[in-house]
Amino acid sequence: MTTVTNKNTEGSGDVRLSGIGKTYGSFTAVHPLDLTVPQGSFFALLGASGCGKTTTLRMIAGLEEPTSGTVHLGDQEVTRLPPYKRPVNTVFQSYALFPHLDIFENVAFGLRRRGIKSVKKQVEEMLDLVQLGEQARKKPHQLSGGQQQRVAVARALINHPKVLLLDEPLGALDLKLRRQMQLELKRIQTEVGITFIHVTHDQEEAMTMADTVAVMNAGRVEQLGSPTDLYENPDTTFVANFLGTSNLIEAEVDSRSGDEIVLKAGGGKLVLPEARCSAPTTTGGKVLVGVRPEKITLTHADEAGEIPAGRNRITGKIADSSFIGVSTQYVIDSPVCPEFEVYAQNIDRDARLVPGADVVLHWNPAHTFGLDAAMDIDAGTEEEAAV
Amino acid sequence: MALVNWLKRHLVVIAGLLTLGYLLLPNVVVTVFSFNKPKGRFNYAWQQFSTDAWKDPCGVSDLCGSLSVSLQIAFWATLGATALGTLIAFALVRYRFRARGAVNSLIFLPMAMPEVVMAASLLTLFLNMGAQLGFWTILIAHIMFCLSFVVTAVKARVMSMDPRLEQAAQDLYAGPVQTFVRVTLPIAAPGIAAGALLAFALSFDDFIITNFNAGSTVTFPMFVWGSAQRGTPVQINVIGTAMFLVAVLLVLASMVVGNRRNRQKA
Amino acid sequence: MATLTEAPPPPTPTAPEKKPPRRRGRFTPYWLLLPGILWLLVFFALPMIYQASTSVQTGSLEEGYKVTWHFVTYWDALSGYWPQFLRSVAYAAAATVLCLLLGYPLAYLIAFRAGRWRNLIMILVIAPFFTSFLIRTLAWKTILADGGPVVGALNTLHVLDVTNWLGWTAGDRVLATPLAVVCGLTYNFLPFMILPLYTSLERIDGRLHEAAGDLYAKPWVTFRKVTFPLSMPGVVSGTLLTFIPAAGDYVNADLLGSTDTRMIGNVIQTQFLRILDYPTAAALSFILMAAILIMVTFYIRRSGTEDLV
Repeated sequence: MTTVTNKNTEGSGDVRLSGIGKTYGSFTAVHPLDLTVPQGSFFALLGASGCGKTTTLRMIAGLEEPTSGTVHLGDQEVTRLPPYKRPVNTVFQSYALFPHLDIFENVAFGLRRRGIKSVKKQVEEMLDLVQLGEQARKKPHQLSGGQQQRVAVARALINHPKVLLLDEPLGALDLKLRRQMQLELKRIQTEVGITFIHVTHDQEEAMTMADTVAVMNAGRVEQLGSPTDLYENPDTTFVANFLGTSNLIEAEVDSRSGDEIVLKAGGGKLVLPEARCSAPTTTGGKVLVGVRPEKITLTHADEAGEIPAGRNRITGKIADSSFIGVSTQYVIDSPVCPEFEVYAQNIDRDARLVPGADVVLHWNPAHTFGLDAAMDIDAGTEEEAAV
Repeated sequence: MALVNWLKRHLVVIAGLLTLGYLLLPNVVVTVFSFNKPKGRFNYAWQQFSTDAWKDPCGVSDLCGSLSVSLQIAFWATLGATALGTLIAFALVRYRFRARGAVNSLIFLPMAMPEVVMAASLLTLFLNMGAQLGFWTILIAHIMFCLSFVVTAVKARVMSMDPRLEQAAQDLYAGPVQTFVRVTLPIAAPGIAAGALLAFALSFDDFIITNFNAGSTVTFPMFVWGSAQRGTPVQINVIGTAMFLVAVLLVLASMVVGNRRNRQKA
Repeated sequence: MATLTEAPPPPTPTAPEKKPPRRRGRFTPYWLLLPGILWLLVFFALPMIYQASTSVQTGSLEEGYKVTWHFVTYWDALSGYWPQFLRSVAYAAAATVLCLLLGYPLAYLIAFRAGRWRNLIMILVIAPFFTSFLIRTLAWKTILADGGPVVGALNTLHVLDVTNWLGWTAGDRVLATPLAVVCGLTYNFLPFMILPLYTSLERIDGRLHEAAGDLYAKPWVTFRKVTFPLSMPGVVSGTLLTFIPAAGDYVNADLLGSTDTRMIGNVIQTQFLRILDYPTAAALSFILMAAILIMVTFYIRRSGTEDLV
């Protein structure tokens, strides 16, 4: 009981990583990074496999010793503490439930190790919280994937950790169950109010569940912010491509008018709000202009005249279209961008919008964002964002 | 034609069952001849049915004594080889260290060495050291040749164990000792048990190495060997049959218990 | 991601003023290894050295032995006992081939065709182990007895005429002939062939058979092109586990054979325990060890499977 204190005083439970880094020989898994996770938040570390997110998590858990930097839990420095002395618990990838113990004993494991004698009531309450009261005497292999997952959460939560670490907790579940468990985890987090740090490679999962998402790439945090913020205002091409889909166009700075920048791209002009450009903009310099596929409206070339003024517009020809129920996804061959993606909601479908048709793409300039043209335009596209 | 087709389809089954028959034939003979009443000193030809030997299994001098020696040696050799072998297996799977290749070779070589070579060289060592041959030299030899088999059995189990289980235990406030006792050992137990069982069988049935290093101590296999020269009492067959039956019954019982337990939980 | 089974390489000391407490001591593996490895070094490796030394000593029991680098012992041993060496290799090779031919169908049967009988057959393969192998070998004396049903049947079928002509049997007898010894060796080491074969066959995904059948392979072709190649690890370790002990065995030759079927194990045993000619016995044992190690190394290299441990 000495190691675990469950203070819920404001601000004293923040997780602070300062300059924490990890190298294996000559390979740098995590570049020294600073990160503060406020108490009570649902925080996600998002990235493709091998980006260093799991290593970061394991350094917080104490399962990996950092090469540099410190880990603070509230006021306590835990950098050199072994895992069994840290007030932190982990939900492991594929759960790591003890196969030789039943569900009850799995959940009671942490309490018993801390010398707590009467565990029955606590365990039963915890099993009820995750709706597994009936299964207490079964062995892990007799449960379904979703049930095992809930046992893993219960086994960790019962210890009232300052922080709960979740390492790809939903990776082994099928899509439908994963959706369900996302909501379930979110519910539990709200209920118990413990800080959750969640590692995932699934951007949708991160955005659904987390208050704050840190996108990691090659051992570095690319960007940190709320899901909306990351999606609407990506700072890097990696974030733009890894979170959802972005159409990126290389453009040249033409002029400025007020807080707007006018750009030249393939003969046409595009307008970009200055506030939404993270790159330096000198006249004649290059920037990458980005716009999300669902912000774009598609109009047949015959009706180009009806498009309201003041909208950014690009011409092109439909190369491909696929109907996916709620929307239709078009791939447009345009002089400024060979594979321009457009998602159109299926409300009033224009029968002329078939492959081969000439179209005009237009959108509200406020939905445009600007990125540094020196960055790799394809960063973050090849990785599988969701499995 | 139908018969030919049937034979063709079941050729492998027929061949396999014939092999099984070949394997079991001597056991059948041993069992049948445990009810024999031989005329001379040797129990090789059928004379008449009798249960004399079953009623008096220890009726031959030294037989049950040698059986007890064998059981004692097998017990201690199993204990020693299992303990030492388990430690080596853990070191090999869990740690990266220098001389790993050399250790692996040292484990492999005793299994790739004819018994008579190990027996002869060990005897050379004991003679040179002036050691008194007997119970202890047999025990030393048995631990030596059982060790490699235990390492192999335990290693296989530990390698297939998810390292995250131990990390989970550590994460749940179990220190290194607690982690080992509560998680590692129970999960590795089937491998350790398999290694121990193998060690027991190997030690109990060993003849060649024992024969070289036994001095005047007589184990059960040595008693059988000696009786093959002097005359084979029927009691040998009784003991052989009994051991076979006990082994089969134990395995069947454990399977039934295991099945029932699984069914209850499911 | 780093593999989790191995402790990661020691981190580069960036903060030398604060030495991290090592959760996994650098010396832990050595402590774990120490007792067992010491045991093997003292009672397995050291005896080999003693034996090598004994083989080049001269002297007598009464006056004691001295190392005189008397390599002639090796020459004498080889020239005196080469027939036994050759016989050992021949018998062991014959037994190994027979074990493979007999064992493969049974291993295949257990792995793919036994269904719910699988466990029972496994038990029947292993259970004979618990009846001392000497007792079971003696049972062959009964089975192959002169004038018994087996010999009678072989005689009626004129099999004995063939084996007599080949020199495997003599007259109306099977006992005390090479055939009996090989038969005993095959019987004794058959489980050592079946178990590794079964292990590697059992690992084969049954869908591979279906895939091969789907791709127009007939059963025999499926076996040759898919099953057998995939079971090679089992074949290699099975043949080694059969050949090595068979080549050094003297029990079968002694119980089922005659003075004409003596193998090298019999010679070593007699030299060591009866004649007490230690240098010759040590030299013979050393030659056997070297021969087996060379053959095994060559065989493993050829078959390309090196992870037998």
